[in-house]
This record gives sequence, C-alpha cells and structure tokens, in this order.
Amino acid sequence: MDADPALVVSGVMKRFGGLTVADDISFAVPAGTRMALIGPNGAGKSTLFNLISGVYPLDGGTLLLAGRRIESLPQRLRVRAGLARSFQNIRLMPHLSVVENIMLGQHTIASGLGAQMLPLSWQRGWRQLAEQSLHDAGIDVDPDAEVSGLPYGVRKKIEVVRALMSRPRLLMLDEPAAGLNARETAELSTFLKSVSRDGLTLLVVEHDMAFVHDLCERTLVLNFGRLIYQGPTDAVQDDELVRAAYLGSRRVAATGGRPAA
Amino acid sequence: MSLAAPRAFVRTILDRPSTAVLVVVIALGIGIAVGGPVIVRQIAAGLMLGSIYMMMAVAFTLTIGVLNFLNFTIPTLFMLTGMVAWGLSANGTVVGFAGPWAWLAALGLGILVAVVASLVVERFTFRYLKVRHGDATEHAIPLVSSLGFLLIFEHLVLIAMGSDSQRFAVPFKSDVHVFGMVLGLPQLASFIAAVAVVACLSAILKRTKTGRALRTIAESPDTASLLGVEVGRIVPVVFILTGLLAGIAGALFTVNYGTVSPFMGDNVGNKAIAAMVLGGIGSIWGAIAGGLLVGVAETLSIHFFGGDSVQMVVWGLLLGIIILRPKGLFGAASIGKGKM
Amino acid sequence: MAEAAAMSGYLSGTLAILCINLIFAYGIFVPAAAGQINLGGAGFQAIGAYAAAALSSLAGLPVAYTIPAAMLIAGAIGFLISFPVLRTRGVYLVLATFAFGEMIAGFLLRSEFFGGAIGMVVPAHIELPVLALSAVAVTVATFYLLATRLGLAMRAINDDEAAAAVMGVNVRAVQVTAFTIGAAFAGLSGALYAHNFSFVEAQYFNSLLSIYVLLFVLIGGTQTAWGPLFGSLFFTLLPELLRIGGAWRYVIFGAAIVLMMVVRPEGIVTRALVHRLFRRPAIPAAEMAHGR
Repeated sequence: MDADPALVVSGVMKRFGGLTVADDISFAVPAGTRMALIGPNGAGKSTLFNLISGVYPLDGGTLLLAGRRIESLPQRLRVRAGLARSFQNIRLMPHLSVVENIMLGQHTIASGLGAQMLPLSWQRGWRQLAEQSLHDAGIDVDPDAEVSGLPYGVRKKIEVVRALMSRPRLLMLDEPAAGLNARETAELSTFLKSVSRDGLTLLVVEHDMAFVHDLCERTLVLNFGRLIYQGPTDAVQDDELVRAAYLGSRRVAATGGRPAA
Repeated sequence: MSLAAPRAFVRTILDRPSTAVLVVVIALGIGIAVGGPVIVRQIAAGLMLGSIYMMMAVAFTLTIGVLNFLNFTIPTLFMLTGMVAWGLSANGTVVGFAGPWAWLAALGLGILVAVVASLVVERFTFRYLKVRHGDATEHAIPLVSSLGFLLIFEHLVLIAMGSDSQRFAVPFKSDVHVFGMVLGLPQLASFIAAVAVVACLSAILKRTKTGRALRTIAESPDTASLLGVEVGRIVPVVFILTGLLAGIAGALFTVNYGTVSPFMGDNVGNKAIAAMVLGGIGSIWGAIAGGLLVGVAETLSIHFFGGDSVQMVVWGLLLGIIILRPKGLFGAASIGKGKM
Repeated sequence: MAEAAAMSGYLSGTLAILCINLIFAYGIFVPAAAGQINLGGAGFQAIGAYAAAALSSLAGLPVAYTIPAAMLIAGAIGFLISFPVLRTRGVYLVLATFAFGEMIAGFLLRSEFFGGAIGMVVPAHIELPVLALSAVAVTVATFYLLATRLGLAMRAINDDEAAAAVMGVNVRAVQVTAFTIGAAFAGLSGALYAHNFSFVEAQYFNSLLSIYVLLFVLIGGTQTAWGPLFGSLFFTLLPELLRIGGAWRYVIFGAAIVLMMVVRPEGIVTRALVHRLFRRPAIPAAEMAHGR
C-alpha cells in the first residue's frame, strides 16, 4: 500500500459569483479507505467532486493525488494520474453499447499500439476484461445492447464498472445507490467492498445512511460548502454540528433525536 | 496599477445598446465630415439598404437567441413576399381589387403569405422537437428542416412563376429633398418603416408579457415552463415575428428596387447573417447596428472598389469575429445567455 | 447500338457522380460523427479541386501527384483552421464553417491566378475506375476509423463531450483529427471531380453545395459509417428515379427532408438498426436471470 494518502485536499476555495460553494475545505483520505461524503442538499458535495475531478478550476487551495499535485491538470490528465468518478445523473454515452461504454473507460490504460490502432472487435483481451467486469458486478445484459434502453439501476452499475476500468487509485462515486432497490443496494455494497480489497480508495457521496454505515468506515460532512465533521462513521450522528446542520439547531434541543438520513 | 477595474468598466460600456447606437452615429459623422456630399449620398443609400438587412438580421438573431435555431427559411420568406405580391398584381389588379393602392394590398398579402409559411415551418419543425438522447448534432434538426422548407418554397415559386426577374411597379416615384440631398420617397419611407418596425419589436420585448416570456425562454430554456411560461404558445410568436420581419423587409425591398426574383433572398440572406454575426448573435441591438453597418459598408465599397472584392473580405472578417469575439461588436446585449 | 452506348455513358456518368458525392459525404461525416456540423464543405472541396487543377494545368503534374497533393493541402488547411474554429460549438460552429466556405468561394471568384469567374481547365482526365477505387478506399477507411478506439472516442465526444473528458479522452486532439480527416476527404472528392469533369469554376462550390452534402450526411445518419452510403444513394438516385418533374423533384426532396426530421431525425441508419440487423437477437434480461 502507498504511504501517501490517496487524496489530500487543502484549503480548497470556490466561488460562483457571490456564492461561496467551497469554503476552505481540507481533509485527507488515507490509501485503501472507504470514505463517505454526506451533507444536506445544496451543501456542495457534487461541486466538490467537480473541483477534485477538474470540471471546475479551483479559486484557491491544492489537491494532492497520491502525493502528486493535480489542481492545475486538465481532467484527462487527472484520470491518467489515477482518478476516476461516476456522476449523480448517470453520464453514460447513450448511443454507445454497454461494452463500448466500458471499453471507453479503458481509454487511459489501453495505450499499446495494438489497442490504439486495431479495431475494437479484434481486441479480444480488452473486450473480455470488460465483459468479465460486467459479470463480476452482477450485470446481466447483452453487452452489445445500446445503453439508452436499459433500466436505471443497471445503468448506474455500468457507470461504476466503467469508472473502475482505468484501474484508478481513487474512485469517486456520486450517489451510486440512488434509485436502487434494497437488493441492488446490498449487491453494490458487496461489490464495492470486494473491489476495494485490492487497495482501491473510495470516496462516496450518499444520502442512504444505512449504505454509508455498511460500506464506509470514515465520513466527511459538508454543510454550505464547509467541512463540519471528519471522522469515524459511527460517531457522525452524535456530533453536535452535524445534527444542527441536518435538523436545525432549535430542533436538536427539542427532539434530541437522530438526524434525517 | 491594476487595469482590472477600468477594463471592466470599458466592457460594461461596450455592452450597452446605447453604445452601439453612438458608435454608428459617430462613425457616420466622421465619414460625412471627411467625405463631403458624395459620401453623404452613399451613406444615405447605405442606411436605407441597411435598414432592410437590419430587419432580416433581427429575424435571424431573434430565432437563434430564443430558440437556438438557425432558420434558413428567413431569406425564402423574404422572397415569397415579393414574388407573391408580383404574382397577385401581374395584371394591374389584385384579386379583383384595382386602383392606386393595389400594389400596397399586393404587398400586404405577400407579407401575410410569409407569416403563414413561417407558421407552417413551425408546425413541422419545433412542434415535433422532443429532447431525445441528446447528442452534439441534435441542434441541427430544426436547421435541416428549415433547409427542406427552403427547397420546397423556392421550387414551388419557380414552378408557379418561373425563374426570371420581374418588375413590380410602384406608382409614386417622387423625390424628397432632405439636408440638400435628393432622396427617393420609397427609400426614405422604407427606412422610416424599418426603424418603426424594429422599435415596435424592441418595445414588445421589453414591455409586454409575451416579450418577457420570450426573454425567459432565451435565458433559461430548460426551466422556462417551470417559471410559468407557456412555451407551446409562445414559440409560434417567434415564428410570426420572423414572418413579419422577413415579409416587411421583402416588401420594402420590392418597393425600393422595383424588381423581384425567385433568387432575391439569397444575397440579402447572406448579408443579414453577416450583419447578425457582426452585431453579436442573439443581440437585437447588435443586429440593428450590424445591418446598418453592412448596408453602408456595401454602398461605400461598391463606390470605391467595385463589387467583387466584398464577398471574400466580409466573410473573412466574419470568420475572424466568430472566432475571436463571438459576442460580436456589441457584446452581451443578447436576449439570452451565450447559447452553445 | 448507339442507344446502348448512350445508356452506359449515362450510367457511368451517374456512377461517377455517386462516387464523388460519397467521398464528399464521408468528408462531412467524419467530423459529424464527432459532433461537429461543417456547413462549409464546399470550401474544402473547392480547395482540393483547385489545388489539383492548378497543379495539373499550371505545373503539368500527372494525376498520381496532383490528387494526393490536393488531399494533403485540403487536410492541412483543415488542420490549421480547426484550431480557432473548434473553439466554438453548436450554432456558432455552423456559422463559422459557413463563413469559411463563403470566404473560400469569394477568394476563388476574384483570384486571377485561379481563373476567377471564368474557371480553370483541367488537362489530365480520369475515368470511373479510379473514382470507384477511391470511393471504396475512403469507405473502408472510414469504417475502420470508426471501429478503432479513436472512433470510439469520437462517438463518445458526440454523445457527451464533458463525460468523455472525464474518461481521459483528449477531446481537443480528437476533434482536430476528425475535422482534418474530413477536410482531406472533401479535398480528395474535389480533386477527383476536377479531373473527371475536366473543368472547375468557383460558382459551383457555393453554399447550396455545402447544404446538399450536409443533408446527405445527416439524413443518412451520423451514428454509423453506413450513413453516408445510404445518404448518397438516397440523394443521388432518388432524383434520377423521380425523373418526372424537374423542379417538382426538389419539392418532393424538400418534403422528404422535413418528414425525415419529424419521423426519424437520427437518420436512416442508426446504431440500433445495425445492431438489430447484424447481431443475433439479444436474450432478454429476464430470461437470462431465469437461466442462471
């Protein structure tokens, strides 16, 4: 395992017009961990993902991926450095087939001359890798079917598999369990645990607290662009600031209850 | 010393419509001062020509600004007005209605035909546009439809009325003396009419509920219906306005030049597109300034250089503008945000 | 006897046009497959045609040199122009390419070196076999291109440019490549046209030509390399079949285009169609689950 943390975020700032969406955010994700990123709606979770993956440039701060500065790199070079992500609103290529979407994920690692110059249909090895990954994730569809016709839950899982193809160091998943039923969510959790056994670090945005408890040993809590908690997942619900953020401070005193998931 | 603040200030100035007007007026003033009476006549002729380009440019820019649709039928609607007016009045009567104002009735009917044709285009392009699994070429769907309609309308006219240019007689040809210049009454009248039409449009966009709805669709096409805009009822308004603008431009052109032909739209259409780009795609004021500038530039360059060099220079300039300053000369006075 | 000769002359003439149109169509198809609408195709065809014409008539070079040279020149200009032009998107890109096409036509019209409005005679002549061979080569090359990872990247960019970047695709590089290849193919079609028709004039390479070829491509379908084949066949043969009419033929044409955009805007040939025709039918997911 790397000695370096998979990701170090230091003092990250971002403003859109007058609105500060990221306010001096700093945290570290140790290599091999599974970390959750939670927070009320509008807290800036997806924005933080976009800042880390390079969709938006930073207004301040630095990003270290396995010890390497990435905040000035364009998106495609961050991928080559070992970053991969999925999207909240599934961004698979609708007119490509399932296997083509997966093989697209191989783009950064399929750098040999054969992989670049030969037709995809001659690249048995790469194709088999793709199909095997689909199978491992429990996805049973015709690999050549066009993605746009498939059910939501299946497409969500395909997006995760696609992100894994680049053999990343850090995999960022944006609400991977949203819209999945209980069985699919459990399958996803099992699959992600098995994948991270090989040293892959996970950073997961989620609202489903049961899923978070099951999968992630550590949690970050974001509220209005500020990090208000980082620590073990077990202790999240007991934290004052977190409860205030989810419930509003008046109600913490009144109910003394658990935060809404 | 930081230049950020002054630069931002300059940029805000550049982005205001009044600046556009001021620039045009100053440029013309300089031209007149330097050039003398001959130039004044050329500039005046250019302004009147430009008023026609201006209306067409506004039609193009309105459609792109609100609907992100490059509507290639606009020059065809222009042509339809003229040709239909001629077709109806070929015998000196208009559908049985004769008299000194028959020509006006003919033009009026021509404009009506243009508006109806525009609504037909709307019916078969935007009415069916659903968001499919969008890809980068999806925006071209209405564009391609408009090309299809271009073929249909143009060739129907060719079949019905042949391919020759035709004369369209306008009974009055008196001259008007203004500031020591002799101007044709039709030209002056058409300039005034064009300015009036565009001023009306501007007022509609600013003050009426429909105008506000149009601007809302232009700025936030995805959330417009959530904001209470009945998109299905507003979109046809754009097409009606387009038909009116192109039709009136066609009528004014016919009155000015006294000839119509099935190909009269092509040249004017290209120049209108050029004017739109020059002024800034999506900006009404830009289209106004651009149209007038292109008109004046055309008359002046024909006067000095002869006709041929214009095409390459104009289009080369345009290419440069689209690449370097896609907002055009007059910046973000767009109806909507920069549409991609 | 004379009838048979006239018939085969007519047929070979039509086939010649078909081959040239097909190559031209592929020249517009390749960037379109990557999401770029090029409405200035005639400009690139003109570059190829005039380059070949000039090299042939002024420098006396044989066809074996003029055609590749013309293709290279068109490709090079496409490459250079792609950098500034591909900073724009959507309607802006359409207008930028349109402006480029008009600029080229305007330049050629007034250029004395290139014959101006009079045009240029092209001494070296080529016949149908060369055209057909070139058409086959370009078709095969395009099918091959789309089957590679580069082709996959192009199609991915067409679907979702931002997500493609997240996959590590160098979007800029792929777009420039697609545009350049397209320009080269269009230039090749121009060179072949010049040598087959033996005469070039600037008025031919006008905006209407750019519009026609774009229509071929968009109606054929930009998802697979079969699109331009069907588009070219549709557009070159349909007018011949509808020989009744003259100007009515264009009215029906136009109506067919409008109808296509309403009923099947993604074009005649889509990826899904090819999948259904050429693959074994997919086992529905429900059955597969049971079968496990």
